[in-house]
Amino acid sequence: MPPEPAETTPDAISRRTLLAAATFVPLSALLATAQTAPVLPPAQTKALSAFVDRLIPADELGAGALDAGVMNYIERALAGAYANRRAGLVEGLLALDDYARRKYGFVFSDLSADQRDAVIGAAETGSADGFANSSAFFASVRSLTMEGMFGDPFYGGNRNYAGWDLIRYPGPRLAVGPPEQAMKVEIKPVRMSARGGDHAR
Amino acid sequence: MPVNLKPVDVAVVGLGAAGGVAVLPLVRAGLKVAGIEAGTWMDPHNDFHPDEIHNNRRHGVTTVPKVQREIPTVRANPGEVARQGTASPMMNAIGGTSIHYWAQSWRLKPWDFQARSETLRRYGAGAIPNGSTLEDWPLTYQDLERFYDTIEHEVGVSGKAGNIQGQLDPRGNIFEGPRSREYPMPPLRGSGFTDHMAETARKLGWHPFAPPAAINSQTFQGRSGCVYHGYCSSGGCHVSAKGSTAVTTIPAALKTKHLTIFDNAQVTRIVAGTDGKVTGVLFLRSGREYFQPAKAVLLGSYVFENTRLLLLSKSKAYPKGLANNHGQVGRHFFAHYDSWAGNSMKALFPFDINIWYGLPAQGSCVDDFADDSFNHAGLGFIGGTSMHVYTEVHPISAAESERFGKAPAWGSAWKKYVRENAARVAQCYLQTSTLPYESGYLDLDDQVRDPLGDPVCRVTTGGPKENEVRAGQHAHGKMEQWFREAGAVAVSRGNITVAGVTTHTYGGTRMGDNPETNVTDKWGFSHEAPNLGIVGGSVFGTSGARNPTLTIQALAWRTAEHLVKNWKAII
Repeated sequence: MPPEPAETTPDAISRRTLLAAATFVPLSALLATAQTAPVLPPAQTKALSAFVDRLIPADELGAGALDAGVMNYIERALAGAYANRRAGLVEGLLALDDYARRKYGFVFSDLSADQRDAVIGAAETGSADGFANSSAFFASVRSLTMEGMFGDPFYGGNRNYAGWDLIRYPGPRLAVGPPEQAMKVEIKPVRMSARGGDHAR
Repeated sequence: MPVNLKPVDVAVVGLGAAGGVAVLPLVRAGLKVAGIEAGTWMDPHNDFHPDEIHNNRRHGVTTVPKVQREIPTVRANPGEVARQGTASPMMNAIGGTSIHYWAQSWRLKPWDFQARSETLRRYGAGAIPNGSTLEDWPLTYQDLERFYDTIEHEVGVSGKAGNIQGQLDPRGNIFEGPRSREYPMPPLRGSGFTDHMAETARKLGWHPFAPPAAINSQTFQGRSGCVYHGYCSSGGCHVSAKGSTAVTTIPAALKTKHLTIFDNAQVTRIVAGTDGKVTGVLFLRSGREYFQPAKAVLLGSYVFENTRLLLLSKSKAYPKGLANNHGQVGRHFFAHYDSWAGNSMKALFPFDINIWYGLPAQGSCVDDFADDSFNHAGLGFIGGTSMHVYTEVHPISAAESERFGKAPAWGSAWKKYVRENAARVAQCYLQTSTLPYESGYLDLDDQVRDPLGDPVCRVTTGGPKENEVRAGQHAHGKMEQWFREAGAVAVSRGNITVAGVTTHTYGGTRMGDNPETNVTDKWGFSHEAPNLGIVGGSVFGTSGARNPTLTIQALAWRTAEHLVKNWKAII
């Protein structure tokens, strides 16, 4: 797989710049278009949102996956570094809705939270009848969700460092001394992207 | 027709951990060397980041074209279909996998070189596992000591000696073989947790120590000391504290002006004349084919490619592949029983251990149950396991980590669990000494080919072996004792099995005096093609319970020095 998300490479920018110059369309407009073009069909976007929302729900411990920008992370990843996983994900989301319809009469995103949890649990354990490869699908979505929640905000998720705050990760430091490696202490968190810039808004 | 290049004295195939070291004694002796490397230079500022998604999830440092196009296939036994994995654990670059390795820089034990005769002496012939092709190495620890010392000082290794000329020092590893002098740098510092584990080990009557690493604990030869920032594994070092050959021996070799590097150059064949001597190598670069004539060739790619290139390089003198008239190329293949083979454990502590930062080489190690440090009577195996607890945990992997049956994998209950425990899970690295067996071998796959149309390497592991599984289980017991004594409230164990495609594989061009059972002689030169040297883990006959790189490098230096000293006789 390519090492970088395509939209962040200098090459991608320069292609856009060239394109902008050729057609006299302002670069900002082009970028806005690029950002709003859906990576997943609307129905699958809804299903995926409803899924990641239950994997990491908003609760008394703080933001959930949706508030933390996990969908933004996944969409950017699927448009770039993980383009080869897009088709498989769509297929899995279609199967998810099919299973939800068979079991409860509605697509996944229209189910109650409890029903969605039951479907996710069945997918996780591979016990969802007629939902092929459901545990691999579950593992794939969970992995993407974890990356979006706990990865560097540079990639579009972990908004306001919600993921790092949740697990008390003290953040990337350029150099680390013995106090930051002590046991049984709260380490003062550093909240910045390792890539610089302000990505966490 | 290939473009003919100006002849050189020595062509070195691969500038990684092995070839990147071998070039230095050659050029210092004034030999003209061409280093032919499939990757290129990496830039510490642009390529290396404290970024888990880049390094550990998308493998941004390690995903490079050539190795990914020729990932070996793996099967347990002949008759099964060998399946190709999705990623190679190794990388091409100037510096190779020494760019991103853990840099643990161990010497093997004296026992590892003489495991057969020492086992016979101590436990009798019945203790040699059935089906094992174990032989003593054709050299002893004492023969290699001078070269270990050279690498430790040329590359820069941090550590504390436990045995200087027979004088034991409990601050170091008292089970190590005698060394001529102290390490050039003190060991890396411990963390709160690893210091706690060391103290616990001492309470158990064991002998913990800070393990050696090719990572600067202080400024060394103009390179910075380690900053312990926590992104060492699978990432390159942005301050060049990690002693990859790209920042140590290769730049030193370039200074002599006797080394020419061809980067992004894929060697496709080693060419031999009818007299059995090699004449040079063919390589592809930017779509063109080149022939690099050379008076000697040193083959220094990874285990799989060393075997594959030899088997692919057929000629009149070598109809079954170069240096393979005795049918030994690819034999005696084995892989470490380490975390790749499920030989790993995790532990949950009831307090924050805070191992976020640091690096895998920062840790506490116990050797009391490794190699032949202990009496094996009644245990049913030979060899043993080094136990190492270490630091460096990244946030995504911490969130995904082991839950010890205490929480589900998602939802609010998981959130509660991970909030409390992400900073409380310890990891360890258990490496069990592994023997070669008749049933483990490499050959060319009959189905899967690389984009050039050449078959990829096929690994036949032979399945898990009782000796190594028992040794691993023994270590699991000891490791659990260590964790529990330190206060762990839950411990998980991996399922010990055998691994095929890993960073710790061995054999295929084994070194030994007998040409009927070995590809190279005791100097690392082919028994058949006298001017072909082979460097890398492919020459090992046993693994020891340690990371192989320092031994690979000591042997590579020795092979290159042998070539220099016997130049006229060899070419």
